Amino acid sequence: MSDRTPPESKDTQRASIFRRHENLTVTAIFASFVLVIVLLQLSISGGKYPTFISPVNLLNILQQVSVPGIVAVGMTMVMIAGGIDLSVGMLASLVSIVAALGVSKWHLGITGSILAGVATAVVLETVMGFIISRVKVEPFIITLGGMITFQGIALLLCNSREVIMSGELNFIKANLIAGAKDPVTGLNLVIPPYVLVFFFIALLAGILLKYTKYGRRIYAVGNNQNAAFLAGIDVKLMRLSVYAIMGVLVGIAAIMLLARINVGIITLGQGLEIDTIAMVVIGGTALKGGKGNIVGTLIGVFFLGSIGNAMNMLRLPSEVQFVAKGIVIVVAVSAGHVSSAVSELMSRRRKVSVPVTVAEVKQG
Amino acid sequence: MKEILRLEHVSKSFVGVKAMQDISFDLRAGEVHCLCGENGAGKSTLIKVLSGAHQPDEGSIYFEGQQVTLTPHLALGLGIQTIYQEHIVFDSLSVMENIFMGLEVARGGFLDRSEMRRQTVEVLQYLQADIGPETNMGRLSSGQQKTVEIAKGLVFKRKAIILDEPTASFSAAEIDNLLEIIKTVRASGIGIIYISHHLDEVFRIADRVTVLRDGRKVSHYEIQGLTKTQLIKDMVGRDPSTFYRREAVNIGEVVFEAHHVSGNGVRDVSFELRRGEVLGFAGMTGSGRSELMEVLFGSARLDGGQIRIRGKEVRHASPKASIRNRMCFITEDRQNTGLFLEQTIASNVMVANMVNTRDFFASPAEDVKVGDGFIQKLLIKARDAKVRVMNLSGGNQQKVVLAKWFNTSGEVFIFDEPTRGIDVNSKQEIYQLMVGLLKQGHAIIMVSSDMPEVISMSDRVAVMKDGEMVGLLGKEQITEENILTHSIGDKAV
Repeated sequence: MSDRTPPESKDTQRASIFRRHENLTVTAIFASFVLVIVLLQLSISGGKYPTFISPVNLLNILQQVSVPGIVAVGMTMVMIAGGIDLSVGMLASLVSIVAALGVSKWHLGITGSILAGVATAVVLETVMGFIISRVKVEPFIITLGGMITFQGIALLLCNSREVIMSGELNFIKANLIAGAKDPVTGLNLVIPPYVLVFFFIALLAGILLKYTKYGRRIYAVGNNQNAAFLAGIDVKLMRLSVYAIMGVLVGIAAIMLLARINVGIITLGQGLEIDTIAMVVIGGTALKGGKGNIVGTLIGVFFLGSIGNAMNMLRLPSEVQFVAKGIVIVVAVSAGHVSSAVSELMSRRRKVSVPVTVAEVKQG
Repeated sequence: MKEILRLEHVSKSFVGVKAMQDISFDLRAGEVHCLCGENGAGKSTLIKVLSGAHQPDEGSIYFEGQQVTLTPHLALGLGIQTIYQEHIVFDSLSVMENIFMGLEVARGGFLDRSEMRRQTVEVLQYLQADIGPETNMGRLSSGQQKTVEIAKGLVFKRKAIILDEPTASFSAAEIDNLLEIIKTVRASGIGIIYISHHLDEVFRIADRVTVLRDGRKVSHYEIQGLTKTQLIKDMVGRDPSTFYRREAVNIGEVVFEAHHVSGNGVRDVSFELRRGEVLGFAGMTGSGRSELMEVLFGSARLDGGQIRIRGKEVRHASPKASIRNRMCFITEDRQNTGLFLEQTIASNVMVANMVNTRDFFASPAEDVKVGDGFIQKLLIKARDAKVRVMNLSGGNQQKVVLAKWFNTSGEVFIFDEPTRGIDVNSKQEIYQLMVGLLKQGHAIIMVSSDMPEVISMSDRVAVMKDGEMVGLLGKEQITEENILTHSIGDKAV
């Protein structure tokens, strides 16, 4: 065969470094954000160890992001498969109310209440997944309908009131390292079991997506449904299954949320869908599907979770948090495109300059 | 009759391909001038030169006697409207809004809806079309949509209308209707260039006919006295020395059978396929070839008949079942139905074989290894299997599709347009790969609209027309003329 390569293949040899390491852009932005906060704290406090990166605060952030983190893991899978789920927030509220009622009113016992809550989420998500995979209506609309419906069911169940518990789920937030002190601040260090649950789920999902045939099929379905079908993939089953998994994860997350707050109430999951979708897209998952990974999502989770925390540390009003979060989303998502456009531009310049260099070398 | 358009000695080349050589052509007011020729004869290039989309390399264009350099904008401004095969319509807008899109009538900065409505109704009545001006374009049949596009030409007093394959996918009644409308338009003094594979349409409507072949003008006739036989003779007759020469392979036992297969618009198709054999499927666009392949592969429903693989009857409920039965389907549209463009070569290569393995786990490193193997074996031009498929050229993308199927344990391969949009070099390579499959004792069903490809690759050729198989030609019967005669449905030749 001839040795000449077509022009296209030459371009592939030189993909932008940001594209080759998919999570590099967002990692760089996150790192610079942390650096800015640390420098600000240093300059304000006059050289004292910045509390933002003290062990106790890092563990704090971890506790805050565990619940949305678990849902974000599920959202990553749903979005890679080409879907979206707007209902997770209200579904989490519904689950918390079901579980709280189970404990305090229906006498289902702790295990029974937890199972009832999780089962509710799985059933409802599966129903939505069934509709989405069979009917050609946008997942956006189906899950929007789900969100409103779940809110209604939740309010009916609790008569629009809050369901107060007396700490039956406290074991979920018990401190696994009781007695440990932060050397910086002298405060108690806390690692509750639910943080470990979050890590465990993220690990499982990461393995599922990267190292199993199921994961490969999810990417294939999100990338090109027609080609996936013709390659022997059961597209309907795949689309259904990611919602079923989402059900399990929302169920678990909602129980953890309930354990933290101790009250089943409709506002518990409010805005959860917005936060998790934001975390997932910051992490590089494409809205149109077929692209994304769990490591990126984890970075998105910690990034978004630490913004509010950092604003508190700097004693900025909570309103500023929204502005900062919004800007971060826009920057993180557009940075990938900007960086690849820039690297393309630079490589084009390099190409143009090649003949000059060759000539120079010859002269030299 | 007044002359509207004239081309004199026009030539046009694309990288290495002479699409038009020294073609002269003219169009008069109030006539229908038909362009005939096979795929690749140069009809589309001629149209694109007339609509200003391509600039000729040599020769000149005259509009009403004045030499012009056409751009799309100028062509439209002079009154040359091209109606392409693919509908470019706004589905969710009304008929009236479609007609006036971009050329709205306005008064004082506001749309003059009543005036636009009046003109629309007037034209539709003139064409005797039963279409309401406020109807949603998306609700019209393709025949009615074509009528609206022609109506647009009348509203804006065009002088020439070019129709490229207007009746593909039309019903018989729709064809009758369209031809009547064209006669009405012709009577109003507009010149019409009409392109169709269907020779009976040509004989019903043409005043003059020009035949192109391999980018050259072969002949030019007044319709009086012209016969179909003569027309077909002019269209065929390519130089066979330019065809690919395929190695002969021993033909073995029957591996695939279709008995009275119906479904997906296909009726009662029967054939046998042997190991080491290429069965070509020829026919015009819309003759039901791809639809038949979908039924055979199980991506469309089999309504009647029987499919047997290795002597055993199979009921293909899905592509998944077909792949397990060792079938492969290289579709005609690789970007939309063959590839996962944003994924790597490795992922693409592994995807179809997943139904054949029982493991739960998959190893990305192993994928890349397999992918790299195919890059070497099929001479795919890519650094390694981690390259995303979207970054490859058409020929290399097609090879990735092949690798995806070669990686399954396939024995019966369906190739739908195996070399569409692929450069000459890659074409030859793909032919060699196909011969390689035959040598391993596999069998190939090949759908192709590329006549030289059908003739040079096939051991036998099945010809489809209107969803039915109208002919099955043995090796010595495979000639351009025979295939064309069957696919036009005029066996009297």
